[in-house]
Amino acid sequence: MATILVADDSETILLLMRTRLEMAGHTVATAADGQEVLDHIANGVAPDMLLLDAMMPRKSGIDALREIRGAGNEVPALIVSAHQNPGDADAPTDLAIAAYVTKPIDFDRLLETVTQLTS
Amino acid sequence: MAVIGVGRFIQQRQDFEDSIARSYQVEMVARERIARGTGGEPARAIVRQQGQRRAELRDEISSDTRDTALLVAAGLLAGLTGALLLFSGLISSMRRPLEELVAAAGKLASGDRSARVEVGGLAETATLGAAFNEMAEELELEESRREELDRLKDEFVLTASHELRSPLTSVQGFAELLMLERESLTPRQAETVEVILDNCRHLVRLLNDLLDLARSDAGRLAIRPRPTEVAPLIADVVRTMRAQTEADGQALSEQVPPGLLPIEVEPDRVRQILVNLITNAHEYSPEGASIQVAVQAIGAQVEIAVSDDGPGIPPDQLGRIFERFTRGDAGLTQRVGGTGLGLAISKSLVEVHGGSIDAESTVGEGSTFRVRLPIAAAPAAGDGQADPSRTTAEAS
Repeated sequence: MATILVADDSETILLLMRTRLEMAGHTVATAADGQEVLDHIANGVAPDMLLLDAMMPRKSGIDALREIRGAGNEVPALIVSAHQNPGDADAPTDLAIAAYVTKPIDFDRLLETVTQLTS
Repeated sequence: MAVIGVGRFIQQRQDFEDSIARSYQVEMVARERIARGTGGEPARAIVRQQGQRRAELRDEISSDTRDTALLVAAGLLAGLTGALLLFSGLISSMRRPLEELVAAAGKLASGDRSARVEVGGLAETATLGAAFNEMAEELELEESRREELDRLKDEFVLTASHELRSPLTSVQGFAELLMLERESLTPRQAETVEVILDNCRHLVRLLNDLLDLARSDAGRLAIRPRPTEVAPLIADVVRTMRAQTEADGQALSEQVPPGLLPIEVEPDRVRQILVNLITNAHEYSPEGASIQVAVQAIGAQVEIAVSDDGPGIPPDQLGRIFERFTRGDAGLTQRVGGTGLGLAISKSLVEVHGGSIDAESTVGEGSTFRVRLPIAAAPAAGDGQADPSRTTAEAS
């Protein structure tokens, strides 16, 4: 099973994500914004996958991912977006985003994607 | 030619009658003297004289009458010519401003709110021109206010939808979590959680629909079409929907001929359209109904038809079926949980793909919704990856 770094500015969503991912057997680290994600990685957390909310205060998931990619880290990443159709949000195409996850989250599909990306 | 006025002519006529009467009187006196034998030759001379005088008077008056008639005719002619000249002057001085006004009104009507006319010329056309300009000014202002309101509405819907999604994710997510441990719930608790989940799904649908409509209105319903195989897409939608149709004992079948060319669409959007259509067929048809998804190629398009043998749509409702918030009579079934926006959105979505959608129905026999979508062009050199995104604004 995989280690997943999850970032969202909503504590309840973090709790939900952690619960569902742990129930599926994954190990979960959480962050409240993009800066915490970078801090975790700087402190030696080496996730198999990132699950980042697109919009967070301080530093968005997109901005955090941009820095991670800038440092040469190619860890698979999913972006969670409140937009129904992230295709028409300003979706960056250069960050190797494996998939967009829309809210409300379809956990069956999310868990399937996590399995595909980390196995 | 004696030039005399009509007044004078009447006076002359009077004088003439008087002169004739006087002449007869003089003649009568002379004739009496002749009859009495007292007049002699001088009286006979008077009679002759008076006869001659009357003949002269008559000649004179008839020539005056002719002159007057000519004069009146000439006067009339001159008057008419004058009026005609005046009118044609008036008309030509009105015509240009009017033509300009008509042209400007045409421009205004076709959406060019900056159309104005030059104010000038006759007082009447100038007033008209000024009134027109004032109206155009008002319209232009109105339009910019409406655009601003539209933008605000759009922004509001986007923000509201965005803000509502996070708490909704939590509610739905935790309710699902409870359902994962269903066996530890009492039947009543499980039922309660089901109700929460049902309502979450309804809210999500409503949010998605409102968002799509706002985008469609703003011309920002963006799609990223790519060549897409029809059969797996249909199979996927049918598999997803079967859980709902089977719960009501409805048969959901698909009929996809082999060898279909891929269509140029955004798969998620086509899935959304088909889910809308199948959901409608499911919700408006009674238990045990059958719903069929049939596909065929027609020219450069692929037609996907969703048919049911449900109650059908009355003709008066069929015409308005693609308008927003139009819902069929749900008298037959209480399960109709739609937002009344599904078909309006489906139509926008089909159209942004460059396709078409129509509905056909017979009351008591069922309904068929046909969606036609373009077949993807054979991949050209360079793979056509330039800019595949398209919006409602460009498609319309």
